[in-house]
Amino acid sequence: MKIHNKPKLTLFHCLNSFKETASMFDGCEVKTVKMACSSMTKDVHLLRAFESGADAVLVLVCREKACRYAEGSIRAEKRVNYVKTILDDIGMDGKRLNIFNTSSKDSGSINDIIKKTLLELEIIGPNPALNHFN
Amino acid sequence: MKTLSRLHEKLSNGEFAVTGECGPPRGSSKEVIQKKIKLLNGFVDAVNVTDNQTAIVRMSSIAASAHLVAQGLEPVMQMVVRDRNRIAIQSDILGAYSLGIKNILCLSGDHQKFGSQPDAMNVFDIDSINLVRTVKDMRDKGKDMSGFDLDVAPRMFIGAAANPFADPFEYRVIRLAKKIDAGADFIQTQCIYNMDRFREWIRQAADEGLADKVYILGGVTPLKSAGMARYMNNKVAGMDIPEEIIKRMDGIDKKNQADEGIKICLETIQELKEMDGVHGVHIMAIEWEEAVGLIVEQAGLK
Amino acid sequence: MITASQKPINEIAELVEPYKKVLILGCGTCVKTCFAGGEDEVAVLASVLRLKFKKMARSIEIEELTIERQCENEFIQEASSGVDRNDAILSLACGAGVQAMAKRFAKKVVLPGVNTSFIGIQESPGIFTEECSGCGNCGLATFGGICPVTRCSKKLLNGPCGGSQKGLCEIDPDTPCAWHLIIERLTTLGQLDNLKTYIPPKNWNTSLSGGPRKLIREDHII
Ligand code: SF4
Ligand code: SF4
Repeated sequence: MKIHNKPKLTLFHCLNSFKETASMFDGCEVKTVKMACSSMTKDVHLLRAFESGADAVLVLVCREKACRYAEGSIRAEKRVNYVKTILDDIGMDGKRLNIFNTSSKDSGSINDIIKKTLLELEIIGPNPALNHFN
Repeated sequence: MKTLSRLHEKLSNGEFAVTGECGPPRGSSKEVIQKKIKLLNGFVDAVNVTDNQTAIVRMSSIAASAHLVAQGLEPVMQMVVRDRNRIAIQSDILGAYSLGIKNILCLSGDHQKFGSQPDAMNVFDIDSINLVRTVKDMRDKGKDMSGFDLDVAPRMFIGAAANPFADPFEYRVIRLAKKIDAGADFIQTQCIYNMDRFREWIRQAADEGLADKVYILGGVTPLKSAGMARYMNNKVAGMDIPEEIIKRMDGIDKKNQADEGIKICLETIQELKEMDGVHGVHIMAIEWEEAVGLIVEQAGLK
Repeated sequence: MITASQKPINEIAELVEPYKKVLILGCGTCVKTCFAGGEDEVAVLASVLRLKFKKMARSIEIEELTIERQCENEFIQEASSGVDRNDAILSLACGAGVQAMAKRFAKKVVLPGVNTSFIGIQESPGIFTEECSGCGNCGLATFGGICPVTRCSKKLLNGPCGGSQKGLCEIDPDTPCAWHLIIERLTTLGQLDNLKTYIPPKNWNTSLSGGPRKLIREDHII
């Protein structure tokens, strides 16, 4: 059984919701995926992130009113909730996937989100679909 | 025309008729029925025997009706189109008549969704108005639905239900007319609490010239408590209990609420007795058959 | 369209469990429109199954394909090499599509991935409603274009039951009373008289009650 040393995160974000800052990703390996708009959050992309090894997936979208495309972030949230139920169904734990409203200007709260995610991972453990075959 | 049943006879004599209601047991107990028969016998002209009411499995209305016949109490056998197709319906009508059952009330039936077995498949092969016409054709033409000549025709007194409190209100009288055209001899209504609306319905029916074509029995149910009033208003399909009635019950001490319920019921009956176009009262004392004798006596209907 | 919804993922997993190579076959017509079996759903389902089987330490090979229609031989043809390569087909088409596949590929296991529901429309985004039960003898002309056979919970043909209140059906506060709608619409059309005439018992012989049905167009038989 192989467990990667550092937790792997995949971070989907729209243009206004995220900007990387120094030491933001300490203690984890992060793959970021930029989306033109939060409404492009698709269930299959979230799932494939888990297939390619993510222990947790974060979706960062701009605040509803700030969204450049009306309803984009609402749609994103619905997609995320849908995938969370699927993850629960197959015993992968929906808590691995979360969506947050963030702004690229507020790196503090993004830092907090990542920290909280890493703490959560200590409880729920690594991606259970990868323990055997990676 | 020779009358078809004692209920028919009473109504055709222009007397104010009284019917009661008996829900068969959720089991095969003959004793439960006999107990209910004792409570009702002598107070009412006939007793409706419900047909798996609210889609909860109970002893069949035919069998329970036959028990009533045996005890000398006249049944109004209720029949819903929810559970039987036209083949079973006609067969049951023939059988029921052979057992001495002379009144039938034709109903759609509550949807099984809220019954004890919501997984069931429903039938609804024909609707309640088709059922009325079917019984009428069997009786008057002596033929079943295929046109086959019956050796003995079931000569039943045919009833249908009406709910003046359901929507769309404007259509309710058209529907009544349709039931009468299809062959309904008598109508039993949903429980009346909203007298204004009932009065308006009777007026519209009279305007359409329906009042002389059918006997109308107004439905009443004594309220046992304020809680029951609220429950019925919110949960029972097609029920309309005005706020004043609920308030009136609320204003009474809990242990006297049942008495107040009976008082309201008596007031309603009094109004019905005086109303043109109303020919009787149908007392549905749900699992409270003891109340029927009291109501009948106090209303001076005996 | 025919509407359907995907079976619970664990039920699907049990269905495909005995096979090593599975083709998930979508259908690009009705079930795509109701988000049950188009290419998007094929992709999601494939990914979920892979995750699920990995988690169970089981290997499974999943191939994805969506064809225009699984209920027509012409399109089914396009799936044949994919079908040959796999042990079982998990079809996300309606029940007709699943059976068409089974008919065409007599030796291949074909499994249903969706629960086929009804003939309906997308009333508003994400909400599908049942409109027709294919009774084989359409009476919509009498009822102002609203079908009581399908949309009245009791299939009543002679008007609303006593449970209709404030426009809603007695079975559920989210279900409009079909008869309320019929009466409203006939009032608008000035055709309320349609409802005064007695409608005799329906002939169900043209419906499923008469046994499985067949449509024959002599002029198209060669
Ligand atoms: S009447 Fe029959 S064919 Fe017409 S919409 Fe209703 S079920 Fe469909
Ligand atoms: S409430 Fe309306 S739709 Fe529902 S069963 Fe009665 S008539 Fe049919």
